[in-house]
Amino acid sequence: MKITFKVNGDTRSLEADPEMPLLWALRDVLGLKGAKYGCGIGACGACTVHVNGKAMRSCVVPIKAVAGDEVRTIEGLGGTHPVQQAWLEEQVPQCGYCQSGQIMQAVALLETTPRPTAGQIREGMEGVLCRCGTYPRIEAAVRRASDALAPKAGD
Amino acid sequence: MLTRRDFVLGSGALAVAVSLPLRTEASVGQAAAQPSVTAYLEVAPDGRVTLHSPTTEMGQGTHTGHAVIIADELGVDLDRVSVVTAEPSDPFRRNGQMGSGGSWGVRYWYQPLRKATAQAREVLVAAAAAQWGVPASECVLERGEVVHAASRRSTGIGALAAAAAALPLPGDPPLRPKSQLRYTGRKVPRVDLPAKVRGEPVFASDIERPGMVYACARLAPVFGADLEGFDRQSATAVPGVLDVVAVPGGAAVVATSSWAALKGAEALRIRFKPTPNDRLDSATISRQMRAGLEATAQPIKAREDGDWAAASAGAKRVVEADYEVPYLSHSPMEPWNCTVEFDAEGTVHIWAPVQTQDRNRNAAAAAAGVPPEKVRLHTTLLGGGFGRRLGSDGIAAAVVTARTVKRPVKFFWTREEEFTQGWYRPAQVARLKATLDAEGRVTGLHVRTAGPALSASFSPQGLPVGQLDGSSVQTIRESRYRPAAFHVEWVRVDQPVTMAPWRSVGATQNGYFLECFIDEVARAAGRDACQLRRELLAHDARALKVIDTVAKAAGWGEPLPKGHARGMAFVESYGSLCAEVAEVSLREGRPVVHRVVCALDCGSVVLPDGVRAQVEGGIVQGLSAAMGEAVTIVAGGARERNFDAYPLLRITESPERIETIIIESGEVMGGVGEPPLPPIAPAVVNALVALTGRPIRELPLSRHRFI
Repeated sequence: MKITFKVNGDTRSLEADPEMPLLWALRDVLGLKGAKYGCGIGACGACTVHVNGKAMRSCVVPIKAVAGDEVRTIEGLGGTHPVQQAWLEEQVPQCGYCQSGQIMQAVALLETTPRPTAGQIREGMEGVLCRCGTYPRIEAAVRRASDALAPKAGD
Repeated sequence: MLTRRDFVLGSGALAVAVSLPLRTEASVGQAAAQPSVTAYLEVAPDGRVTLHSPTTEMGQGTHTGHAVIIADELGVDLDRVSVVTAEPSDPFRRNGQMGSGGSWGVRYWYQPLRKATAQAREVLVAAAAAQWGVPASECVLERGEVVHAASRRSTGIGALAAAAAALPLPGDPPLRPKSQLRYTGRKVPRVDLPAKVRGEPVFASDIERPGMVYACARLAPVFGADLEGFDRQSATAVPGVLDVVAVPGGAAVVATSSWAALKGAEALRIRFKPTPNDRLDSATISRQMRAGLEATAQPIKAREDGDWAAASAGAKRVVEADYEVPYLSHSPMEPWNCTVEFDAEGTVHIWAPVQTQDRNRNAAAAAAGVPPEKVRLHTTLLGGGFGRRLGSDGIAAAVVTARTVKRPVKFFWTREEEFTQGWYRPAQVARLKATLDAEGRVTGLHVRTAGPALSASFSPQGLPVGQLDGSSVQTIRESRYRPAAFHVEWVRVDQPVTMAPWRSVGATQNGYFLECFIDEVARAAGRDACQLRRELLAHDARALKVIDTVAKAAGWGEPLPKGHARGMAFVESYGSLCAEVAEVSLREGRPVVHRVVCALDCGSVVLPDGVRAQVEGGIVQGLSAAMGEAVTIVAGGARERNFDAYPLLRITESPERIETIIIESGEVMGGVGEPPLPPIAPAVVNALVALTGRPIRELPLSRHRFI
């Protein structure tokens, strides 16, 4: 069965098990390795990508559920997205394995909440685990990206 | 000793090899040192410098630390230096093995790398001087060029590399003075981060090989269980599944995609042989460990300073408390995986996230039936290690699978396998006693720990009965506290649960035991916990400075908002002294950590921002373990199989503020990857006890009810 959806702007048609989670379609079939396998139950967020602009755990989303949708992965951010820049300026990653998921979660958060409070940053980022303990820098980087994307009046 | 190796990487490249003199290993429980360690520098014709680093980059930043050392000593811009993890061979070994652990990455390699780089600099300068017919002493190497100022000539090091490679290396080259170091001690960007924030394929799990298939493991859920058999058809009925292979520990389901392999592994009907461990549970382990605290048990002595019997006899008061901690999972975010390919010449190529290159290469060679030289181990960046990748338990099954299916194989564990396959931080119990005099001064400390021996499980050679397991008394045996009597002992209680070093190893539990007990003693004596620590450290100016620094910065003794309390802890490990103060309150029965102040004396610093990152990460990981982590043994295996049951700390419970104060005492350089972790659990627990008045003698905190 052929399933068609857009990935980072390009239309892709996959001949694959419709139950295959989007994560494995991205990684194994489309060769996009940015989203990571961490738990397979949507509990760690390392696989986070956007579906129609919303952050989703791609390890628990079957591809049949995204037919006709727009999927965006970290590869689609272009490498110089303000959130990626903020991540570098704050020197966020350690091992880096969760960071694609962290960055995609942060981009989605800032698209819906351009100027999040400290509490909104924490709640918005809660779904993505980091074992290295980079949370303090994630908070700082989200604030920095927010300042870059949505400057306050007078900034 | 100096050697020159015929080791030229590409035409015109300069290769420098150094060997170091014998170095004594003073760390706990280590074997005697082996002589030779060397590191290779490579200068390419385009002037780029590559370090083949002996260390594994798993997020702790040692590759950047090494790049800074190289850039500074050579005299090149940092962005001209790249770092790759070397393949195992003599020059990259420490104590006869290549691997990363014990927070040795920068402190051990700092001088050898500087020396190797200085040798490279000297021959590059000599090559230019010879070409120009001027004295080498008139030339300098700056920003990638050798410069002769008097004649206004300069040449890039890439053009000099071939000539330099033919020159003899100086035995004892001068090292640059501190004033010439452009990066050391300053904030520099990590070399591995740009690729990581772009989501580039840098991990072993991202490796693809032509014709590759995917293999998902289905391994024994009970420790020590062997495969009895499986119904092959139950898995091959799943579309995409190609084969089922019996491997050490269970089976591997081979398929055309990760998803098909996962579904096949789930569908596989597999049986394991019964073991004596099939009914083992945590309650039994706990009971057996606690029996080790009683008088009938046979302890092994670890420290016998002063006369404990006299301290007991003369005590005005004795304080006593028992503590217990559970097994912990390392849970690196990247579950175990590796990619294996046999080439046409019979060489086995392996791309793997491992911390111990020799151990894994040897295990792979044994499984493949080839000598170790026929295994090419390509160490990728690691998606976290924390000690879990020190083992070699995952490699044989991957090699057997690839050998059987005769295709390149990406072999992987599910998160569930990552949890159930063990190699945890040991469970442990302790009984601590303190004797007090009439003035409330501590005259004696007596510590007994009891539990399974980490080294018996983890060391390939095991631990003979009657010998001390160093990690079981780590940091207490070496504690700087100096009461008149200080005795430390350990009782071995073997269990079949496999164990491995977990970030900061024995200091994780022993720091909690001792530092919470010090607070209990202070409370019993009506003393301030900081003052009591100062009294026990009165002879030690270095330790006092760490305590005083953290106390001052944290505002120790100053008023706090209602419902808030502070707790302090001081733990030395891996050559660094670390004190932390946590400010804590309770919200709906859960501890909230508002602020952590950390003072770390690690001697001297190469990467200040890297040290801060390790402090922040250590505090978060240590708090994670204290708050909710525990592996529960049920029916001979782990009950927790994924993050829904084993709660890693989330950002919502991360400390609201972490402040790091680095103390450069100028003492011998200490580690930074591990030392910041042990103090956080006792600091938070001490704050909670100050808040509630009730002792907390078991972790994790999720087992306690706070109102």
